Amino acid sequence: MGLTDRVRQYRNLPGFLQASLNPWLIKARNNPERLAFVLHRVTGFTVLLYLFLHIIVTNTPARAGWEAWDSLMEAFGAALFNKVGEFIIAGFVIFHGMNGIRLLLTEFFGVCIGKPEKPKPPYIPPSFKACQRRLLYLVFALWPILWAIAGYIIFKG
Amino acid sequence: MAIADLKAATRIPPKLVTIRVKRWSPTKGKVEWREYQVETYRGMTVLEALLKVKAEKDHTLSMRYSCRMGVCGSCGMVINGVPRLACQTQIAEVASESNPVITIEPLYNHPVIRDLATDFNPFFGKHASVKPYLIRKDIEEREGPTGEYILKPEELENIYQFSLCISCGLCYSACPVAASDPEYLGPQALAQALRFIIDPRDEDPNTRIAVVDSEHGCHRCHYAATCSAVCPKAVDPAMAIQMLRSIVFRHRLGFWRKRTSKPAEKPKEWQPKKPMPPEAQTIPGVDLEQMEKEPVIVEVDGIKVEIDYKFYKIR
Ligand code: SF4
Ligand code: SF4
Ligand code: FES
Repeated sequence: MGLTDRVRQYRNLPGFLQASLNPWLIKARNNPERLAFVLHRVTGFTVLLYLFLHIIVTNTPARAGWEAWDSLMEAFGAALFNKVGEFIIAGFVIFHGMNGIRLLLTEFFGVCIGKPEKPKPPYIPPSFKACQRRLLYLVFALWPILWAIAGYIIFKG
Repeated sequence: MAIADLKAATRIPPKLVTIRVKRWSPTKGKVEWREYQVETYRGMTVLEALLKVKAEKDHTLSMRYSCRMGVCGSCGMVINGVPRLACQTQIAEVASESNPVITIEPLYNHPVIRDLATDFNPFFGKHASVKPYLIRKDIEEREGPTGEYILKPEELENIYQFSLCISCGLCYSACPVAASDPEYLGPQALAQALRFIIDPRDEDPNTRIAVVDSEHGCHRCHYAATCSAVCPKAVDPAMAIQMLRSIVFRHRLGFWRKRTSKPAEKPKEWQPKKPMPPEAQTIPGVDLEQMEKEPVIVEVDGIKVEIDYKFYKIR
């Protein structure tokens, strides 16, 4: 295929943002793994961003001395936006961590994904019947509970 | 879609459906949506509806298909947001009286040639890159095999599901990683790599592991499992990739060893039959020695039958 033909082709690529942010890009049924994938990605990138900011803020004493740190803590330590931010990050970390354990099991050790079998109606793929799916539901169920507990600790303390 | 609506063909689809097609032509170079009204009948598939449009309404509509029965894997397209085989999708499954609109787009992640026809060259190139065929070290034996390679039923069970793949590209089109990384090998190629890596008749898993253990190989997958959700043949590539990844992981640590089977022993030379003992003679009045030399004629219930012993010898 010549170069001109290639240029004249239209690449039907949804792209990184669509793929990472839109769990309904493909409207397949019976696929909560995709939702988990999108959430994992969003929470992961947010926590990474937070980590950078966190490092910049917590090395204030090294950059500007302990007085600067004390005044910074006085100004923002108890501010509402700080607590809300902490609350969001806590929830994201909880999901990312719990789903991360499930992904470690499936991706690294190849357990919890079922075994190949002869397909029979109604043709549910074996990995959808395996225990990774139950782990995923467990993650989805525990997430709001743990997030609420984290919120209680953050806003009370 | 793996979880197809198995009863759809028994239902009556809406009388009139609207088909919205995303069209793109290389000469115009821009995307446009066209709508066509199609009269339906019970059991009509989306592919038949498109062919009806092509025959009666708009001859310029382009698509690709061949077998019309879900075997060749050419008619993949995105129907109402899900990659499906058009010939396997009933109108009754995707349209209803309340919403008789069917939206059809070319497969995502594949370059479009025109309208609904997509270019599979890159996709097949990725399939070829994992060497989807049996490799034996002994080239002489491979080119002129003297016996079969042994595959036990339980070993077949391990690879059977993956060998059902028809290379339709639906999984590749559904994958969020392929949507952002055009170089990604894709679920189909990786599942086929696993199928040959764990096949005991194959002797060279290392080259394949080297191909998939790369930046655009199996480590790119993030287990969104949409590939398994849309596969029309229930291949479950997501499971295959996770199995592949754990194999690659163990291979790197040096824990993984492949079990290969040897060719079966040569079949024994044909040995001439021993002559039948006289007490085994079933036809009365026929001399066995004579029967072996020439056809004999016997009378059974008044009918003359010619028995030619030659035909009883197995060559
Ligand atoms: S794995 Fe399934 S969806 Fe993917 S190409 Fe093969 S048959 Fe098609
Ligand atoms: S499981 Fe892997 S290959 Fe399959 S859709 Fe998800 S990211 Fe793509
Ligand atoms: S036309 Fe062959 S799979 Fe649809």
